[in-house]
Amino acid sequence: MIPFTIWKKELRGELYSWKSMLWLVIASLSFSLTSYLLLTNKELSLLDQTELMWLLSKVIVGIGLLVTALDAASILTVEFDKDTAENLFLAPVSLVNLILGKFLAVLTLWGAVFLVSVPYIIVTSAGSGLAIPFLTHVALLGTLGASAFTLLILGLSLLFRSGKNTITTSLIVLLALGIPATFTSTLKNDPVSQLISHINPLDAIFSSLDNVLVDYHTSILQNWQFLLPLVIFLVLSLGFLYGSSRIFMRQGVVKND
Amino acid sequence: MKYKILTLAALIFLLGLTANAYVASASGPLTLQVLSSKTLSGTAGDFVTVQGSITNTGPQAIQGVTTYLSLSDKQTHKPVDLEDWSAEKGLYVGTIDSGTTLPLDWKIHFVTAGDYSLIIVAETIGDPIPQVSEITEFHVSPKQNLNPAEVLPVALGTPIILIFILFLIAYRRRVEE
Repeated sequence: MIPFTIWKKELRGELYSWKSMLWLVIASLSFSLTSYLLLTNKELSLLDQTELMWLLSKVIVGIGLLVTALDAASILTVEFDKDTAENLFLAPVSLVNLILGKFLAVLTLWGAVFLVSVPYIIVTSAGSGLAIPFLTHVALLGTLGASAFTLLILGLSLLFRSGKNTITTSLIVLLALGIPATFTSTLKNDPVSQLISHINPLDAIFSSLDNVLVDYHTSILQNWQFLLPLVIFLVLSLGFLYGSSRIFMRQGVVKND
Repeated sequence: MKYKILTLAALIFLLGLTANAYVASASGPLTLQVLSSKTLSGTAGDFVTVQGSITNTGPQAIQGVTTYLSLSDKQTHKPVDLEDWSAEKGLYVGTIDSGTTLPLDWKIHFVTAGDYSLIIVAETIGDPIPQVSEITEFHVSPKQNLNPAEVLPVALGTPIILIFILFLIAYRRRVEE
């Protein structure tokens, strides 16, 4: 029950004010602009509908991961920055429960982004027969990606204990993985680029969405080669968080540098 | 001496005839046919397939055959860059054995509205005269937007609903405080 109490407390802080909800409106405006331009602009609408859906899916997942990364980078470090960490860890709450509560709160933000994107997904996929695969794969791939990034960044937070450093590192990690994932296939012809492409979790997300929406390979079995790197990334992130928490516990709440 | 000169002249004449016959056989036996409809219509954004065939009707194999498309705008009378229209601008056929017919298929993406004419050109290494097919006419209608009637309510409505929720939250917080 404790993780859920922490989850509810965090959500109240994060979503129960107009300032903290504003990003969701901005995310919604981004989806509006993308889908409206793609569906009505003459030049852009010459794209196949499936190509258009793929582009929108990348925008949804990209914004979702950005929101998740930023929130995960601040949700734990804010306790260190505001000097409330000591009191928090003195309370009868285990580190596992605390991290689980914070993890669920961050994941809820991804859920909110996905929920806002649902009408856009339905509208853009109208008539293509791909609305259900579009929804399920964005939900599945986005949740796997958001979970892995959140675990990784929570691990970084325990190591850095500073909001500024964690946010900077998280954004750099996200960009470092995101930029190569947007490269066209012509830039991925050499063995090194292909290897990076195969192990890059963001590349796996975008390639899987391409496989589903453009190539109509909608079953999980037809996407296992893209899901596998994501699951490995998730397991590695969990391992990193475990290692970070061990180091954190060994060093103590008040770190003696 | 007179006989020698006459024989040499006859030999040169015969060699000339053989060379001319070779050139004719290299360019002549290739036949290009368009199998798909002579007029293809669609809307900008649609894909159509131009199907054709190339046949070597001669007695010898022909080597180094390349085929490619040539598209021109009928209104501007200018050639059109095939960059966005077809992923494969040219097809290297290579050697065509005597009496062999090979298929030629091109997937064409209608990009811009208008009327166009398309021909398939076959070029053989060492042959100065290419072979061309019959003309295929393209009539491309302007693109109608995918679904402007449905996207606008969603594009405008979703942020408006979220802003309303935002104000509701702010109001509730103020009441609670």
